[in-house]
Amino acid sequence: MLWTLLGVMVITLLLGFPMMIPLIAGPLIMILFFMDGLEPTIMIQQMAEGISSYVLIAVPLFIFAADIMTSGRTSQKLLDFVGAFVRHLSGGYAITTAAACTMFGSISGSTQATVVAIGKPMRQRLLKAGYKDSSAIALIINASDVALLIPPSIGMIIYALVADASVGDLFIAGIGPGVLIFIFFAAYAFIHAKIFNIPLAPKADWKERRSVFIKALMPLGFPVIIVGGIYTGQFTPTEAAGISVLYALILEVFVFRSIKLKEIPDIALSSGIVTSAVFVLVAGGQAFSWVISFARIPTMLTDAVIPADPTALQVLVIVAVFFFIGCMFVDPIVVILILTPIFAPVATMAGVDPIHLGVVIVFQAALGSATPPFGVDIFTASAVFNKSYLDVIRGTPPYIVILLLTSVLVIVFEDISLFLLNLF
Amino acid sequence: MTFGNVIYRLVTGSSWHFAAEISRLSVIVASFIGISYAARKGRHISMSAFFDLSPRPVKKALAIIIPFVTAIVLFAVGYFAVLYTHGIYESGRTTAALQFPFWLMVVAIPIGCFLGGIQFLRNMWINIVNKEIYLAQDKKDYSEQQETQI
Amino acid sequence: ACGGNDDGADNGNTDTGNNGDNGEAAGDIEPQEWRFVVEETQGQVQYEYAQEFADLVDEKSGGALDIDVYEFGALGSEVDQVEQLTQGIVEFAIISPGFTGTLVPEGNIFALQFLFTDDQETNQEILNESEAINEQLVPLYEEQGILPLAFWTEGAMQWTGNSPLQTPDDFQGFQMRTQESPLILESYEAYGANPTAMSWGELYTGLQQGAVDGQENPIFFIADANFNEVQDYMTISNHNMYVTMTTVNPDFYNGLDEEVQQIIDESVEEMRERGFEIQEEQNNEFLSQIEDDEDNPTEITELSEEERDAFRELALPVRDYFRENGGDQAEEILDTLEQEIEDMSGEDIGAGESGDDAEDEVDNENSNNDMNEDEDDEE
Ligand code: NA
Ligand code: NA
Repeated sequence: MLWTLLGVMVITLLLGFPMMIPLIAGPLIMILFFMDGLEPTIMIQQMAEGISSYVLIAVPLFIFAADIMTSGRTSQKLLDFVGAFVRHLSGGYAITTAAACTMFGSISGSTQATVVAIGKPMRQRLLKAGYKDSSAIALIINASDVALLIPPSIGMIIYALVADASVGDLFIAGIGPGVLIFIFFAAYAFIHAKIFNIPLAPKADWKERRSVFIKALMPLGFPVIIVGGIYTGQFTPTEAAGISVLYALILEVFVFRSIKLKEIPDIALSSGIVTSAVFVLVAGGQAFSWVISFARIPTMLTDAVIPADPTALQVLVIVAVFFFIGCMFVDPIVVILILTPIFAPVATMAGVDPIHLGVVIVFQAALGSATPPFGVDIFTASAVFNKSYLDVIRGTPPYIVILLLTSVLVIVFEDISLFLLNLF
Repeated sequence: MTFGNVIYRLVTGSSWHFAAEISRLSVIVASFIGISYAARKGRHISMSAFFDLSPRPVKKALAIIIPFVTAIVLFAVGYFAVLYTHGIYESGRTTAALQFPFWLMVVAIPIGCFLGGIQFLRNMWINIVNKEIYLAQDKKDYSEQQETQI
Repeated sequence: ACGGNDDGADNGNTDTGNNGDNGEAAGDIEPQEWRFVVEETQGQVQYEYAQEFADLVDEKSGGALDIDVYEFGALGSEVDQVEQLTQGIVEFAIISPGFTGTLVPEGNIFALQFLFTDDQETNQEILNESEAINEQLVPLYEEQGILPLAFWTEGAMQWTGNSPLQTPDDFQGFQMRTQESPLILESYEAYGANPTAMSWGELYTGLQQGAVDGQENPIFFIADANFNEVQDYMTISNHNMYVTMTTVNPDFYNGLDEEVQQIIDESVEEMRERGFEIQEEQNNEFLSQIEDDEDNPTEITELSEEERDAFRELALPVRDYFRENGGDQAEEILDTLEQEIEDMSGEDIGAGESGDDAEDEVDNENSNNDMNEDEDDEE
């Protein structure tokens, strides 16, 4: 049963079928041929459910806002401003991109929204600065996914509920690994820029910096309103997405007059196609994860691999492998809800700190989501940047290696997550 | 709508409880009705390595088989979506805040799947009647495009 | 599981005592596998209830009847689970009336605040015995393909806030997070608050960042979801209780052998008391956990009888709102239930104080219309 499911998915995937086919046909065949008495209509229910989350609504709105800003002048002015401070530094743009993606990802709570909102404008500037497209996109995807670790993290909130741990402690414990990853990304960006001889632009003087700052004043209101608004509780991330659409419209249509009102429907249509291409996959992914949960496949697999009297390290490694692989295929939240109750008691008995376990789990969820074949952020990047799937994943290996390395460090040295907690 | 919700909440301190429902409805409609449009423009995400590296005759065969099978799957899903929507219609279920019939919320799924299936059949047909290889009705294979891809 | 059975035998029910002792008597039952889905995760009240129920059924059937419990998240949202029960994809489900409010609007009666007493044992007794619930409300669920076997409480609902909530004045302009139910929203608007619907996944961050000021939940859920970490005050308001139902797919149930049905029925009966104990244990344990959490201090107060009365007075018109908008049977069911509560508790909960005679109804209709007009103006 499991092999048929995987077989159908892998073959249709490799032959170049639209990605929605493996995600839809796999579960459909399971239900029709392997699950007696089950009506396939359940798939439809779950496909609708998959795209009904309130948090997801932010994504099409951010896609629309980003489309408006990149068609007009807003993002240009913002990037000129950033460029005036980092363009003379080796890897400066890449480091800025990593920081912006991680920050925005953590406050918006949606890695997809981040790929769009930050990735779209930053990618243009990275290309201009001489980066290869594949490395630019890989950087954006991976830096956005790391946001799962940075508070406020929905993954940690869910883990805390299931495993009975403190959200506040988890938030603090996520900072160490998050910063460590950022340092590694920055170091890689620096070395990468040196090796590939990314040309450095001349350092901007303070006069130029002042001038681009003044030009960017209005566009700068954008991050200020969004980030400030969410942090002070004026609005939720979804509402912030709505605000950003309006802000972008006002700036481009009425202030800069770079876009005519009659061009808006075309931009909206293009945003709509991108939304559809991504969300159909999210819908299919939910149907897929329903079928494997219903068939109890996760429990079957975990029962088979947990040894009788495991050591703490053994448990952590098994946990890491399961969450990593699970999140390569299924939404991280669903994986956390289903697998945590299976592993948490085993881990506790083996003496693993529950906070540390949570950090390892959320770390793997982030890593798995950024890893092919079914990372939703990979789909989003492919749709938003209109690049083929292979082009999108071509540049990811260095980042996956960095993340794997960091996750080994985090698993072995629990102090990376716990030291901040122990300080207080 | 979401934006209106914020303004309204800032101004009056209250909330449009139905904003979430309208947004949810638009997301479902956009996602599924968009299937056929994305199919026409060749914007569906796929892993094309094997396809890209194949010799021309294999490519041509795949360009006919893939849209055909995709159409079949979409019609099958569309059929079950009709059954599902009909079941919801019979139950008389409404949405929580706006209290409008819930079947309206999901009716875009069968419609979108059928329209999508038809468009994939057209993608197949254009490969049958033409010599060139088309990735979609409006998109030739990358290797046969005259103009450069943006 | 063992504890559950002992307790079942202790309550003087001789039938169950016998069954518990010799499970092998039921050797001729055809082995079957069923699915039971709940709205909560492992360790929480519903899951523990379902697991003990499964153990009881297993024991009584000599191992022939095997129930697999699905935790929340495995099979989709709570509303999805309702559909899956009615389609027979799962045989059993724990369903809270709040998630079926659009199918059976009369079930929203459990969202009315200060309707039941503040004594949970009395309330559970009312849930067990009430004609309004077990004879008038149950058929409405059956029409929708849901057969409730028992109504039970997961504990009293309490308020938490970033400011104290002791009098209706404290609710003026207060951003209260609630579930997405018109009746709950109406209730908090009656206190002068600004209720906002928000999914619980967003709630922790919402409370932390101040997008909302407070929320309502049973204590076990408040502590389990760590809301006390981001809230300074908790009021033991007992403003209503979280009511849920053990349900079964009616076609499946009616198609079972009498013997099997009897095993299910007995297990449901035994779980009435166990369910109450599970929630009591968890709510008490988590209350001490909140009290003892020195890193995240929470000031805990209780509502006095006078303070409850002040809220109840404001909540009374919401009962009329329910009578009019709560479905065809709403008025009849509420009238019966109000009477039953007063009879069984001996307390005055305001039965018949409003909405019973024609004059009042006309007045209320007018005031409702006024409210609607106001809302239209603002939008
Ligand atoms: Na986050
Ligand atoms: Na994934």
